[in-house]
Amino acid sequence: MNYVFQFGTVLDHAPLLLYGAWSTIWMTAFGTVGGLFIAIFCVFLGATGSKSVRLLVESYVEIIRNTPFLVQLFVLYFSLPALGIRLNADQAAVIGLSVSFGGYATEILRSGIEAVSRGQIEAGRSLGLHRIMIFRHIVMPQAIKIIYPALSSQITILLLGSSVVSAISATELTAISNSLQSQTFRSFEFYFVAAGMYLIMSALLKLFLNTFYWLYFIRGRNN
Amino acid sequence: MKKNFITCFFITTALIGSIITAHAQSLDRIIKDKKIRITAEVTSPPFGILDKSGQPDGSEIATARQLAKDLGVELELVQVTGAQRIPALLAGRADVAISSLSITIDRAKTVMFANPHGALSVIVTAPQNIKISTASDLSGKRVGITRGTLEEATLPKIAPKDAQLVMFDDIASTIQALLSGQVDCASFSSFAAKSVADRNPDKKLENKFTVATAYYAVAVKPGDFDLLQFLNTWVWLRTSDGTLGKIYEEHTGVKLIDLPKF
Repeated sequence: MNYVFQFGTVLDHAPLLLYGAWSTIWMTAFGTVGGLFIAIFCVFLGATGSKSVRLLVESYVEIIRNTPFLVQLFVLYFSLPALGIRLNADQAAVIGLSVSFGGYATEILRSGIEAVSRGQIEAGRSLGLHRIMIFRHIVMPQAIKIIYPALSSQITILLLGSSVVSAISATELTAISNSLQSQTFRSFEFYFVAAGMYLIMSALLKLFLNTFYWLYFIRGRNN
Repeated sequence: MKKNFITCFFITTALIGSIITAHAQSLDRIIKDKKIRITAEVTSPPFGILDKSGQPDGSEIATARQLAKDLGVELELVQVTGAQRIPALLAGRADVAISSLSITIDRAKTVMFANPHGALSVIVTAPQNIKISTASDLSGKRVGITRGTLEEATLPKIAPKDAQLVMFDDIASTIQALLSGQVDCASFSSFAAKSVADRNPDKKLENKFTVATAYYAVAVKPGDFDLLQFLNTWVWLRTSDGTLGKIYEEHTGVKLIDLPKF
């Protein structure tokens, strides 16, 4: 092989790469939180709403799950201005990530809620709790415990999928390493390091989610 | 123990042998395999486009086809984005890069350029109502640039510090950003800007100022001297008999100027 590796170039640009990693992390965080809000709201509507409301939620989920994420971003960033809504790249990225994650999370939460036995809801009603309280205190904690593995892997997919937002010029790790490699022509070095950084972030995310699970569901319980 | 040693020895020899034979000269390999792989950037009008039936076309694609015809080999087009032209060449996915690669010093450090066979200029374009006449007018404006292009290599150096440079992966996205108003102005080759302006007369796009002019050339991987020598000879022959000039004029609408040789 004639190629001489020059990782020193990557080290020179380390601050920029770390800034990109930080952008990826906060975009993922916003996307997850936003998506979870959307998902909990949608799942509540889907479980307790009228038929037309349920249809609305179902169509939202199906549209999100059956269109490519990149195309969703292009619609948000390039097509909305024609309707007068101009989002800048970072706004479009976070909204896109939340909406996309919300679609998948709604499905996952819904399956968790269906797994909670009806007896629990009936017991709640017999205790006089109304709909929202049953949902909040009885159904959701049990549902989240059941679907936690599926949800954590979806969050990891969100972290890695955030690299797609580079296509609409949002600045995060992939966009920055892409720009750096096109300026320095060290594509192997930069892409290799970027992949390594995603690996580390993904491992840290997994650690974080597992710790959260242990803190919330396992510690201090006897079952 | 002995069996392991013998296996290791043979594997090492095979590896070393394959590394040595990998230095087999590219031109010979291309002629032997009867195939040449050339990069094709199809989102860069008029150098590389997709025609009505989705087939690659454009001045550089036509040049690539001429090269394959003159070598008497089959052409395989390796589709790349602007930022991928040089990486594809260096990684060995393509033997030759014919995708309007402008000659710059930074690029010359990583690839070997043949004598140029075309020229282009890079300009900043914006709708009529946005007043820009020099680089300093970019202050506070959002400027769309495509990664891996001549404009990315030249505009950031002359743009004011508070100009917001927005980077896109390919020229099509930058065009979309300009048309949808996500950026105030954008930088393209003058030919691309003309084609965008012609197709969108309602946007009233006009060229504001020229950022840089450059000659573009065919590029090969460092070390492929035989291929480079052939390409220099080929460019000289085909420029002298007017073939390359005809291709250039046909696609850009501009007559090919006198090209330097080095």
